[in-house]
Amino acid sequence: MAKVEITVNGVKHSRDVEDRVLLANFLREDLGLTGTHIGCDTSQCGCCTVHVDGLAVKSCTMLAVQANGANVVTIEGMAKNGALHPIQQAFTECHGLQCGFCTPGMIMAVAGLLKYNPNPTDEQICHGLEGNLCRCTGYINIVKAVKRSAELMSGKK
Amino acid sequence: MEHHLLEIGGVRMSRREDLRLITGAGKYASDWNLPGQLHATFLRADRAHANIVSVNTEAAEKHPGVVRVFTGEDAMRSGYTKPMTMLTFKGRGGMEVLRPERPVLAHGKVRCVGEPVAMVVAESALIAQDAAELIEVEYEELPVVIDPEAALAPGAPQLHDNVPGNVPFDFEAGDAGATEAAFAKAAHVTRLKLAVTRVAPNPMEPRACLVAYDAGTDMYTVHVHVQGVNMMRKQLAAYTGLPEEKFRIMAHDVGGAFGQRSLAYPEYCMQLLAAKQLGRPVKWIATRSEGFMTDSHGRANYVSGELALDKDGKFLGARLDWIADMGAYLTPTGPVSHLRNPSTCLTGVYRIPALYGRWRTVLTNTNPIAAYRGAGRPDVAYVIERLVSQAAADLKMDAAEIRRRNFIPPEAFPYKTPTGSTYENADLPGVLEKALKLADWNGFANRRRQSEKAGKLRGIGIATVIENTGAGLFPRDEVQIEVAAGGTVTAYTVSHSQGQGHETSFAMIVAETLGIAFERVQLRQGDEDHPLFGNHTGGSRSTVGAGSACHLAARKLIEEGRALAALELDAEPSQVEYANGSFRGGESKRTITLADLAKSRVFSVTAQGSFSSTFPNGCHIAEVEIDPDTGVTEIASYVTVDDCGRVINHTIVEGQMHGGVAQGAGQVFGEHVVYDRDSGQLMTGSFADYYMPRAGLVREITMEEHPTPSKVSPLGVKGMGESGCTASLPALTNAVLDALRPLGVQHLDMPLTPAKVWHAIQAARTKQ
Repeated sequence: MAKVEITVNGVKHSRDVEDRVLLANFLREDLGLTGTHIGCDTSQCGCCTVHVDGLAVKSCTMLAVQANGANVVTIEGMAKNGALHPIQQAFTECHGLQCGFCTPGMIMAVAGLLKYNPNPTDEQICHGLEGNLCRCTGYINIVKAVKRSAELMSGKK
Repeated sequence: MEHHLLEIGGVRMSRREDLRLITGAGKYASDWNLPGQLHATFLRADRAHANIVSVNTEAAEKHPGVVRVFTGEDAMRSGYTKPMTMLTFKGRGGMEVLRPERPVLAHGKVRCVGEPVAMVVAESALIAQDAAELIEVEYEELPVVIDPEAALAPGAPQLHDNVPGNVPFDFEAGDAGATEAAFAKAAHVTRLKLAVTRVAPNPMEPRACLVAYDAGTDMYTVHVHVQGVNMMRKQLAAYTGLPEEKFRIMAHDVGGAFGQRSLAYPEYCMQLLAAKQLGRPVKWIATRSEGFMTDSHGRANYVSGELALDKDGKFLGARLDWIADMGAYLTPTGPVSHLRNPSTCLTGVYRIPALYGRWRTVLTNTNPIAAYRGAGRPDVAYVIERLVSQAAADLKMDAAEIRRRNFIPPEAFPYKTPTGSTYENADLPGVLEKALKLADWNGFANRRRQSEKAGKLRGIGIATVIENTGAGLFPRDEVQIEVAAGGTVTAYTVSHSQGQGHETSFAMIVAETLGIAFERVQLRQGDEDHPLFGNHTGGSRSTVGAGSACHLAARKLIEEGRALAALELDAEPSQVEYANGSFRGGESKRTITLADLAKSRVFSVTAQGSFSSTFPNGCHIAEVEIDPDTGVTEIASYVTVDDCGRVINHTIVEGQMHGGVAQGAGQVFGEHVVYDRDSGQLMTGSFADYYMPRAGLVREITMEEHPTPSKVSPLGVKGMGESGCTASLPALTNAVLDALRPLGVQHLDMPLTPAKVWHAIQAARTKQ
């Protein structure tokens, strides 16, 4: 057992956790933030993507104890004061989701992608989403949603 | 196609359900928790075929935090040994299906890798996992059979004592004699042996289930993903022998299903047993690795097909010898969907005077097969459309012309096929011509030359398909509509969305029928406080069934409301007019709203309808470009023209088509569940080993609609959830083979991986 202090979506949490507990499970089970989904056990699907100190991270690839002292943002922290984040807005506008299970991880991964490349080409988007699987949409509308996100974030309506 | 945007609470949205899903507020099966819950983990067979000599659970039971360890003995004592079957018809020579037993934990024998052997229930999931590793199982290995053709051979390992020869069901359709006569007079016969490969449906949400038992009411509450609560309840009751009314099924959001989530799996039944015996709720979340091993697989059909033609390329007859791998046990949906759907659509979109098919279901030491998006329809479309394109190549005919020459003409509908089904309506020439134009079929030769100049091989592939939407497990679909005093109109359905957006399209149907704002209508699916009769979501039937019933219920609400309003208005019902949520009539000309009627009474109606199959159809044309140096195939263009009847929501239809085509492309270019032939070990047990479509596989789809409204539904809709899968398998494969045919390559089985394509190119060049 170890004591961790992790700030999640602006709120500081102190918990005792088993050393082997993954950040993904910590968020879901200890903090009840079930918007972060777990879709595989080999770190391929990207459903559990969150931001740790500003970086998009698959939260199944790190232990909760490794996030001690970190600032974590999950899908629940993306909308601010009732207003959707532009990426969330773009995903619904472009019908970039169907069952919605991969969507939180997709949105967090896209936020990570756009942070470093605010205006990506189709090629760069596909490359950037290599680590996120979706079974419903065929990705066509997800790629559109990323382009629309870039537009909305640069102030276009 | 127009993109339909809603304005909900000041936000532009495609669908009503999106808001919770994009903010992390969706509630999926693993998100449920109950106070005092225990956690289960399953120890699974690491052999494909073996006698269980002993299971030693002593150390596991002593592990701190473990509450109980269950084994096959418990499963046998419970009597939970026989899953439901949906096979209600007889087979060849009047054969009844031979149903193998499948105890919910293996007893005596294991028959495939991953079969659950023991269940540990503990205070936490991690403790349960630790304890499962302490269980010692002694096995005596048996010979393994993975390949269904090998399982048919004399002397093959036998899986079940009550299934001699590993064939639980043998089925035929059509007229063998007439077909033989047709082949005897043929000028040409095209023959192909085709593998419709075994694939993993892989909805993104892993399986999860939470069961609570209440001794006071003797009721089980089951939180699990469903495609419809009634289908789950019926199967749980059949498997356990408990009455259906003992189960309360709770499901909200379902993270994809594709047929795989319609099943009541053995693990859920063990949780029922444990929750009752231990007096505490029992939760289980599967890992993806467990999913690859034990969530039902799809397709796995191996078909020898023959098409007989006259000298003008007119079809005279077709004959299929179909081997359907069922895995180690029969699932409720596997046999029925892999026999009935292909036999229903055996003639494809063509007038083929003589047809015969024989289907042998075969048991192998592999994970069981069940319905997967299309459930036999993509399989038969693949066989017929591959044969037709191959025949065109054999006869040096244009692949569109051979289709045109053999279509069932529009005036022949309703068309009774030689295998006994009746296609309702279609305009196949219209669909084809639209698609040819959209794909610039005539300009292909020029594009091929351009590709050649760049050192690439270009091919064009076409598929013209028809499919039967599901007639349903239950004979009727019911919908209830309730009006609240505040004015909210709520529709209740059995049919449960797994991503199809019912909350949007069904609410649109109700709002349109009632003439009220979309915002006032909400949908509840599988609400156990509003039990209804009817079908789950499957077989592309939801809008046809539940959607039509929504329309009928809304109309009934108007009629019942009119009678109630007449009393209050002191008028004859016939003198009361309804428009946009309000009734007017009588001398006072007073207006009474739907909400007014709900202020003094419960204002609710239930309507039902019986909806048979509709026959969506379409033409898909794919163009591919292959790099001969690497074997990598790029999809250069993809065109669809589909007739799914009247479209309720174009955005959702487009999304369904995208997803279906991508799943088809996944199977064509990479997906394949592979078992080691000797050991029966699963070689593709994770996303690291199993190909999944990723962004960029299908870049763009150009779509047009060509609706001929169905009369089965008062809305004129046909289903379309599976159309993308059905047409894309043959369209894409035909395109790749068209690119390779000039080199002398006649046939390759899916998956058309770069390695396979590269080897085929090398082999063909060596021969030349």
